[in-house]
Amino acid sequence: MIPKRTGNALRLALLIALPALASAGWKGVSAGEVELSATADASEVALDGTLTLRIAVTYASKADTGNLEVPTFADFDVVSRSQSEQVTFTLSNSTPSFRRTVITSLALTPRRAGDLTIEPVKLEFHGQRFQTEPIKVRVVPAGQALRRRPPGPDRLGDDRMGDSLDPFADVHPGQRDLILRAAVDNERPFVGQQVTYSLYLLARTNVSSIEKLQIPRLDGFWSEDVEAPQQLVPEQRILDGVPYTAYLLRRRALFPLRPGRAAIEPAEVQVLTGFGMLFSRESSRRSSQALQLEVQPLPPGRPAGFDFGNVGQWTLSASAEPSNVPVGQPITFRLVASGRGNVRDLRLPRLPVLSGVRAYDATVSDKETIERGQINGTRTVEQLLVPERTGAVEIPSLAMDIFDPVQKQYRTVRTDPIALRVDAGPVGQPAAEPISQNLLAKGGIRPIRLHLGSVQRATPLWAQPWFWPALGLPPFGLALLLGVARLRRMLQVDPGRKRMELARSAAAKRLRRARTLLQRGESVAFYAEIVRAVTGYLADKQGIAAAGLTRDELVSALLARGQPEEPVRRLVRILDDCDRARFAPGSGESPAREAVLGRADQVLGELDRGTR
Amino acid sequence: MILLLAALLATAEPAGAQLFADANAAYLSGDVSRAIAAYEALVSEGVGSTELETNLGAAYLRQGKRGLAVLHFERALFLQPGDDDASADLVEVRRGNVDRLEGDADEGGAETVARLLTPLPGTAAAAILTVLWPAAWILFGLRLLRGGPRWAGIAAAGCFGGALLFALLTWSAAAGRDMAMRRGVVVAQAVPAREGPAEKSVSRFEVHEGTTVRIDDEEPGFRRVKLANGLTGWVPSGTVELVVPPGWAGRPVLTGSARAVQP
Repeated sequence: MIPKRTGNALRLALLIALPALASAGWKGVSAGEVELSATADASEVALDGTLTLRIAVTYASKADTGNLEVPTFADFDVVSRSQSEQVTFTLSNSTPSFRRTVITSLALTPRRAGDLTIEPVKLEFHGQRFQTEPIKVRVVPAGQALRRRPPGPDRLGDDRMGDSLDPFADVHPGQRDLILRAAVDNERPFVGQQVTYSLYLLARTNVSSIEKLQIPRLDGFWSEDVEAPQQLVPEQRILDGVPYTAYLLRRRALFPLRPGRAAIEPAEVQVLTGFGMLFSRESSRRSSQALQLEVQPLPPGRPAGFDFGNVGQWTLSASAEPSNVPVGQPITFRLVASGRGNVRDLRLPRLPVLSGVRAYDATVSDKETIERGQINGTRTVEQLLVPERTGAVEIPSLAMDIFDPVQKQYRTVRTDPIALRVDAGPVGQPAAEPISQNLLAKGGIRPIRLHLGSVQRATPLWAQPWFWPALGLPPFGLALLLGVARLRRMLQVDPGRKRMELARSAAAKRLRRARTLLQRGESVAFYAEIVRAVTGYLADKQGIAAAGLTRDELVSALLARGQPEEPVRRLVRILDDCDRARFAPGSGESPAREAVLGRADQVLGELDRGTR
Repeated sequence: MILLLAALLATAEPAGAQLFADANAAYLSGDVSRAIAAYEALVSEGVGSTELETNLGAAYLRQGKRGLAVLHFERALFLQPGDDDASADLVEVRRGNVDRLEGDADEGGAETVARLLTPLPGTAAAAILTVLWPAAWILFGLRLLRGGPRWAGIAAAGCFGGALLFALLTWSAAAGRDMAMRRGVVVAQAVPAREGPAEKSVSRFEVHEGTTVRIDDEEPGFRRVKLANGLTGWVPSGTVELVVPPGWAGRPVLTGSARAVQP
């Protein structure tokens, strides 16, 4: 098996090449001086496809290099060739050592279909010759699907991505110069299992910088950055026979929160291409493709009490220090869960109540690390235990049910029981806490009650719907009483006052009746009616009973009430004229009677105005 | 004769005392399931008792059902707001709650205000108010209508002052009760709070058993809950139980209202 061409190819290539060289009989090769390897990124390629041959030569010396002989490639055309160099310096046991690795990458296209061979690569170094094994490649007709090499732990020069899918396997760039490519390493994860989301930029032109990188909203996932490069690191790729430079822009770990279909929207990026200030720079915007994930629910058969956050490859361990203490001295109990998965969602078992031991509140601390693109975590629960009596105490085994998404099964991880020994405190020396011999700690659930009491659960008085409106009744009642009293006062009328108010109208009424009598020719009755009108008015309005008074007394009474003298005199004259006419009939003619009527009405009017 | 009758009434045991004693015996012997069944039977018979609710809460806690434990301690405190055992047990259970709320308390600490107001002697204050208030108006009317004695005016002013004080007390108790009527407890182990009353709605956060919430709104099958820090979401009705259940304190009884089932 030939490892796939990767960024960590050197290490892998060495692993592969050394046994190969050994088997080829190159016993004289010293791994400490020079190492040679050649790997291809595919064991099968289409006639219209390309494969990459990676030749790595590692020297122990920093100065000298050997003479590398690249094969003539009888069955292949060389499309492109690039070379890079890495120098590492290590200090081991105070001895510095250099390692210099020259990597030559060749993009090859086959000339014909069939089983072809890439000839061995040769190297001459300090008079010694080294050679790799020939590499067999199967070339299928153009257009047929390729069988890529089995997945390695890494790709694109990154050894942290433990995915199993080539992010560029289905990329066919066509004529495009810039492609933004999103990829996930697992399209069917379980709920709570990590999926690594990677975003690459593939460029056929020079990329100056990246601006405005917009990562999609990752609804339905708990996510965390795995890698966010600050600088663009190029990596060469051949896509459909065309060399591209791939840049990793972002890598995030996603933990699906619920089962079902989950969509990741396209990412967007603004790319500046060109060469610095001297050459034209162009800004281009690119979007990646959307991704669809099918998040699987956890399989059936989960243990009772299983917590859905406990998905991952976890181990559980417990410790207690010191294991031998005097009574009253604290013991630190630590429960540690570590492994691969989302530590923030992890639910650890709880320490049960230990007889004779007082347990304080636990503190929880989480630590996350990223290894090979995977989120690893450690949750540590620390709890202070204070033994309150002497003797042996055992912290029992604690168990936690987990779901391992790699093995696709539920497992139970356990701690070992921990035996503690509690001795009596030193004589004459009090324990750290003097009351520890009989620690009456606050807290805990109280004992139950033994006598049943009864409480009224009915609606309270003030919650009755009528309560608050009923409070309005007293003020309403008082207002009603006040209103009624006022009405009654208004309805009470004085008869004398009423007569006084109606005196003028009563007199006018009588004068109208006198006119009727005058028209009938009943002169005696006419004058009598005028006299009644005048005397009635005087009685009602002025309160003077004219019938019992002499004319002088009448005049005096009216003047005493503030009436002007002239109307009073005329009134007396009218009364005299009427008496004369009544008791000496025929002395008055009709026009004179009419005048008397007019005078009476006028005088009464003047007196009425004088009274007001 | 009257004295004898009073003595008999004083010594009479409340209904269900025997079943309560049996439940206590089961609890003390470690048969918590049987104890819970007996306590629940008393509750379904309509026995309202602080002691019953406190013991039921303790029994649920021993079974590890923290949500139901909190619910019954809350009910005990609703029946007897100052009950010391229920308060202490509730504090103890809440110490182990999964949910820790971050952020300021909503609406000036409505939960705290409710807890302060609920123990007020609302019923006694209401009874005194119903005496003082009409008395104040009668005295005032006497003084106003008939020019009554001067002491009537002074007494009316005193009655008005007292009525105002007890009206405030009554109103405060009513406000506390209103808040208590809207309080609920999460009884499911964990439940996602969603943006809308539908299973397909986006989940915004998750609440866990034992968390006390305020129920703001109800839709068929869902309740809109608000946490003390103002966080709001919709949860299935069966996962949140009302502290004041139907049939208590004037709350109408709903037919087919089932208890939440622990998952």
